[in-house]
Amino acid sequence: MNSSSSSMGGDGRHDDDAALTEFLASLMDYTPTIPDELVEHYLARSGFHCPDIRLTRLISVATQKFISDVASDALQHCKARQAAPVKDKSKQPKDKRLVLTMDDLSKALQEYGVNLKHQEYFADSPSTGMDPMSREE
Amino acid sequence: MSYGGKESGRDQLSSLKKRHLLEGEEFSRYVARIAVSNICQSTGFHSSQQSASYAFADITVRYICMLGKTAIFYANLAGRTSCNVFDVILGLEDFGLLRGYPGGASDVHRCLLSSGIIQELIQFVNTEVDASVRRPIMKFPIPRMPKPTPSFAQVREVPAGNHIPDWLPRFPDPNTYKRTQVWKKRDTDAKEDKVEKTRQRRKAERSLLSIQSKLGFNASAEIQLTVDGDVEKGSKLVANNPFLALPLSCNDKKISEVAIPQELEPGKSSAVLETFVPALEASKVKSLDFDSNDKIALPQRRTTIQFKIRDGKKFTEISPSSHILDAKKNSWFLMDDEKDDKKKRAETIT
Repeated sequence: MNSSSSSMGGDGRHDDDAALTEFLASLMDYTPTIPDELVEHYLARSGFHCPDIRLTRLISVATQKFISDVASDALQHCKARQAAPVKDKSKQPKDKRLVLTMDDLSKALQEYGVNLKHQEYFADSPSTGMDPMSREE
Repeated sequence: MSYGGKESGRDQLSSLKKRHLLEGEEFSRYVARIAVSNICQSTGFHSSQQSASYAFADITVRYICMLGKTAIFYANLAGRTSCNVFDVILGLEDFGLLRGYPGGASDVHRCLLSSGIIQELIQFVNTEVDASVRRPIMKFPIPRMPKPTPSFAQVREVPAGNHIPDWLPRFPDPNTYKRTQVWKKRDTDAKEDKVEKTRQRRKAERSLLSIQSKLGFNASAEIQLTVDGDVEKGSKLVANNPFLALPLSCNDKKISEVAIPQELEPGKSSAVLETFVPALEASKVKSLDFDSNDKIALPQRRTTIQFKIRDGKKFTEISPSSHILDAKKNSWFLMDDEKDDKKKRAETIT
């Protein structure tokens, strides 16, 4: 079974190999949104050592794909939130602007296993919300 | 796509702390933020919250670091030091384990090249429109060349021991690795200070002795006084101190005559100074060379000193600052016997 699969996989592997080679070559034409220098800097910090720039491009493309996936998921959440409540008729035409909020982002990242928590509010002083008697001290 | 400029609503201390932690990373984080914002814009967002863009950039950085770490882990596992495309694919598969990817772990003997992740990436690149115009950024961080320690031969030092070749870098100074003697740096030479001190003392002694001789004391008698004991001190004092001596009778000592000038000029203020001119001159000349041992002789002829006797007029000259005060206060100085003190003070305050 192993030999048959391997022999059959030989052609497939050759195709895949060709596809990958072609892909890596096409990467040099396509410039990823994330700069190469940035990716190289962080990879060097992690210990990744490869002189081949195509690998760096591969990683940057993979990161870009990840971010665009998360962003599109967040966009879905945002649009769903806008479409659901039809309380005011005046509210709908106003909210045409799509804003990336922490709420949407945390919901989108939840599916990817990233738990992002955002504070509800920021207190402007340490004594906010305290008993007024103790605040005077 | 717009994101705000200054940080708002953040605590000063936490931002300072963050700045300290992210020292040197500010630039890279900023670039990551820009890249992430570009991607969000291409996805369809018009704007984003500032905190959301910060968080998203942080996640991007973490993703890149983790991917690199996993890739190098797999490379080390295979016994290599530099990474392969397969290491990267394995790393990507590790990331995709949670969501699942096509061509997954069901087939153990699969080839990595047929991995679904690559397929997805190819699809992504083909569909993606490279619309972003990016500014080229320079390679960072800029490496700083460290200054190497000079060798023994370069500083012309003989290395301790014959077994150490001279082309090796020299040893550090002993004060860098052990506690050595610390000498206080003095600006002046000790010998010079001593010489200066003795000179000043001698000068003071000379001036003191000259003053004594001018006043007519016997210098040797003074010295004798300090040397002798207490019993003899009393009798010596009486014998040598002219103030304690018995008064002279009328014709015992010859006293020089006082010349009364023809004209008496009242109000000549400089007469007082003029009389002391010879004495001052003598003191100037004689103070430096005391070793000559000659007695300073008083002039035979004494000059006239005029004392003008006036009626009881009080000194009314007031210092210049008091000119600011009004005339009432001036009158207070003159007529202090007539008015009450407290009343006068009250007047001056008002």
